[in-house]
Amino acid sequence: MSDPGAVGGSVTYQRLVHKNSSGFHYMKVSLVFEKEGKRIDGAFFKQLIISALRNVYGEIGAAFPFDVLKFEEKSLTAVLRVYNSGLVKLWSALTLLGSYQNETCAVRVVQVLLPYQYTGGP
Amino acid sequence: MAAFADLCISGTNDKKRLQSIIETAAHLGYSTVAINHLVEVQPKKQEIGKPKCVSELFDHFPIVQGRSRPIRVLNRLTLVVSDTSHFRQTADFKFYDIIAIYPKTEKVFHAACMSCDVDIICIAATEKQPFHFKRPPVFGAIERGVFFEISYAAAIKDSTMRRYTISNAISLMETCKGKNVIVSSGAEKPLELRGPYDIANLGLLFGLSEGDAKAAVSANCRAALLHGETRKTALGIIRTVKKSQPADEREDKEAPPSKKAKLDAM
Amino acid sequence: MAAHVTDQQLRQIRSILLEGWACTGCDVRGPGFSEDCDWFSIRCGNELRKRILLKSLSPQISAVKNNVKKKRTVICPFSSQTSAMFSELQKCPRNVLVCERSSFMNEKSRHDKHVSQHYFNYKVSVFIPHCGVPPSSLSDAMRRFTRFYLVREVPVFELLGEECLEKTVRTGRFYALSYKTRIDQDDVVALLPTGQLILSVVKDTYEQLGLEGRPSQYAHKRPMRYVVVIDLTDKSMAPGSKRYDRVLWALREKVPLKTDFLMACHSVVGTEAWSLPPCLSRYPWKELQASVDTQTLRDLPCPVLHGDDLRGETACEPHAFLEWLGAVGLGIGCENEATSFLSTYECPEPRTLVDQAVLCTVTGLLLPEDIHSLLEELRRYFDQPKSSSWLSLVVHGFADSPISWGMAEHGFHKGGENFYSFVLFKNQDYWLHMGTGANDGCPP
Repeated sequence: MSDPGAVGGSVTYQRLVHKNSSGFHYMKVSLVFEKEGKRIDGAFFKQLIISALRNVYGEIGAAFPFDVLKFEEKSLTAVLRVYNSGLVKLWSALTLLGSYQNETCAVRVVQVLLPYQYTGGP
Repeated sequence: MAAFADLCISGTNDKKRLQSIIETAAHLGYSTVAINHLVEVQPKKQEIGKPKCVSELFDHFPIVQGRSRPIRVLNRLTLVVSDTSHFRQTADFKFYDIIAIYPKTEKVFHAACMSCDVDIICIAATEKQPFHFKRPPVFGAIERGVFFEISYAAAIKDSTMRRYTISNAISLMETCKGKNVIVSSGAEKPLELRGPYDIANLGLLFGLSEGDAKAAVSANCRAALLHGETRKTALGIIRTVKKSQPADEREDKEAPPSKKAKLDAM
Repeated sequence: MAAHVTDQQLRQIRSILLEGWACTGCDVRGPGFSEDCDWFSIRCGNELRKRILLKSLSPQISAVKNNVKKKRTVICPFSSQTSAMFSELQKCPRNVLVCERSSFMNEKSRHDKHVSQHYFNYKVSVFIPHCGVPPSSLSDAMRRFTRFYLVREVPVFELLGEECLEKTVRTGRFYALSYKTRIDQDDVVALLPTGQLILSVVKDTYEQLGLEGRPSQYAHKRPMRYVVVIDLTDKSMAPGSKRYDRVLWALREKVPLKTDFLMACHSVVGTEAWSLPPCLSRYPWKELQASVDTQTLRDLPCPVLHGDDLRGETACEPHAFLEWLGAVGLGIGCENEATSFLSTYECPEPRTLVDQAVLCTVTGLLLPEDIHSLLEELRRYFDQPKSSSWLSLVVHGFADSPISWGMAEHGFHKGGENFYSFVLFKNQDYWLHMGTGANDGCPP
C-alpha cells in the first residue's frame, strides 16, 4: 500500500506513504520461573513457545513462523520477531502460558514494537 | 483511557504472598488492585465480617511502574449465590469498596442483573456457564451500570478451564456486544498475573474489539469503582467528605447522583 | 443405512474437532427425532469450518465417520460477530511510515522543519559504516547536547508565573515535558518552545479544571481524555488579563496539578548558558547531561543502498533497512540461514561485509536544535573522502509525549512509536523516514 505523494518543486523530491506495510513486529519478553536459578538455552526456549502455541491454537493454528532473534541465558530475556498476522496469536499464547514440563512459569512481555523501535522510557 | 486496574486478586491470610502479588501488580503497571473476599452465601444468616485494613499491608505501597504514584489497594466482596432468597444486603457491605456476585443459577443471574445492588457480576471460569445469557437481563445490567467480569487466572492454570473461560466469554459477548465487560486476574500467585497490555491483547480471544479490550482493564474498571462509590454514599444523595475546601466550591462538582452513575458507565 | 449417532459418539466427534482449539464456539447436534436419520450438524464460525474440513482428513475422524456411517456434515455459519473476532486475530495495530527523498542542497528541502518540529526526543543513534572511531568533531557535537533538568513535584501553575515566564518562554526556546506520566493513563503536561502549554488530562481532571479543551482524538466510545492548549505568548494570556487569571486560578485552586518535569532551554546564541530560574529551583532538582555510548562493530554484514532508489526496487527496501538498523542497535546477529531453528533473520540483500562500523547513541531530553547541529556535522563527514557511501541518524521521540510532530496529537495504544531517520549520502542527497504507531497522525 504505497501512494506516490505529491512531487515537490525539484525533480529529486519523492515522497512515499506506507500504511501497515511493516511486515513484522518485535516482542521483547522475559521468562520467569517460580523456582529461581533455572538455566535454559535458546533452543529450549523456542520449543517452549512452540508448545505454548500448540496448546492454545492446535497444530494448524500454531503453524506460523517466528524467530528468536536473541536470547540471553542469564536473564532469560529474548527478542522475538513475528509476522503481523501472527502477533495476536503469539502474544496471547505467551499470555496463557502458565507452566512448562510441570514447572510454573510466566512470560513477561516487556515491549511490543515495530522492528526499528527499540526505545523505552529513560 | 484511564489507569489500569485489576479488580480481583485472591484474598489470603498469607500476608507475604498478598504483598508479593501486589508488588508484582505494581511492577506490571496496575494502578489499582482489589483484594477479593469470597463468601459462599448460606441459607442461614451469617456474618460476612470486616476485611483487614489494607494500610496494614505495607508501610510504603509499591510505586506503579512508569508512573510516580503508589498502587491503590481496595477490598472487594464476592458473594457466591445459588438461590435468590439467599442474597441479602447487609451492613457489612459498607466495609468493601466493590461488591460482586457470582450467580450459580439463571434465576440469580437475572436478579443480579436487574435488581441486586452490586457492581460486578462474575462469569464462570472453572465450569461451563450453566445457563444462557439472555438479552433482557444482560441489557438490564448494562443499563444499570453493572459490569460483567471475566477472570483469566484459571485459563492460565489449566487447558480445560481455558476452554471454559474462553467459551463462556464468547457467549457473553454474543449478547452484550463487548459492553460493560471487565477482565481481571483472580490470581492466587504472582506468576498468575499478566500485564495490562497482555490482557488487552488477550481480550481479542474473548471476542472483544481492540478498544473494548483495553477499556476492560482500564476505563470500565474505573466506572465499576465509581459505581461502588455511589453505592457507599447511600444512593449517592448524601456524601460525607472530609472538609478541606470551602463548601461552596464543591457544589458544582457534584452531578445529580442518578445522572452521575449512568455517565460514568461505559 | 439407519445407523444412529449416539451421544457418546457425538462427544467424541466434538472433542476431535476441537482438539487444540480453545474456542469452543461450536455445537454438535444429534439427528433429532427421526431414528433413521444418519447425519449430525455442526454449528460453528467460519474459521472453525476450515479447521473442521482439515480435521476431517485425520484418521481418527474417518474412524468415527465409518462408525456412524456419516453421509454429510451440515455446516452453517455462526453469527457475524464471532467470525469477525477470528479475523481480529490476524490483525495488528496500525502503523504508518513516510519515506522522503531529497537533497540538502535543494532549496525546498524540509529536513530542518521536520527536525525542529519533533519537539521531544529521547534517543539519537548514529551509524557509520567503514569507520572505526567517530571523528572528533562528531563526538564533540554529541557531547555538546544541552544540559537538561529533572525537577520534582512542580505545581503546573508555577510555569505561568510572570517571573518564570520571563526566564523561560521569553528567554529562549524552552522545552518542558512531564516525567513518569503515561499518555494513556495520567495527566500529561508539555510546554513547547512556541509558548504553547499542552495539558492532556484525564476526564476527571478536565471536568474539575473548567478550562476549554477538546476531547482526545484517540477516544474509545466515550472520551476519557481531553486536550487543553494554552498559548502563553497570546495577548489574551498576558499576566493580569482575565483569561490569565482564570487559568492560574484553575491550576492553583481547582486542580493543583503537580508533576515531575524534564526541562531544558536552548538559549539564543551569544547569551550565557541557561540555568534553572529561582521559581523552579525551589523544588528538588537535578541537572543531567545526555549520556553518550559509542561502540565499534566488526565484520558486520551491511545492506547496499542506492540513493536514487527510495522504493528499494533494486536494493534494500525501506522497512527491511530500518529493521536491519534496529537489529544492529539491539545486537542481533544476522548470520542465519532459512533452515536455522532459532532465527531465520538475515541481513537484506544485496549486502557487503563491512570490516568495522561505529554506532553511537545519545539518550536524554534531546533538543531539536542540538539534533539539527548534529545533522549539519554529519553532512560535513563526507567533506573528506570516505570509503562509506552513506551513514544514518535515527531519532526516537518520547513514547508518552502528548504530541509527535508540531501539534499533531500523539497517543499510546500498545506502543508509542514516533521516530524519524535520516540516511545521508555522499552527494548530499538524503532519505528521510518518519514513522508513527496506532494512535498518531500521519507524519508531516
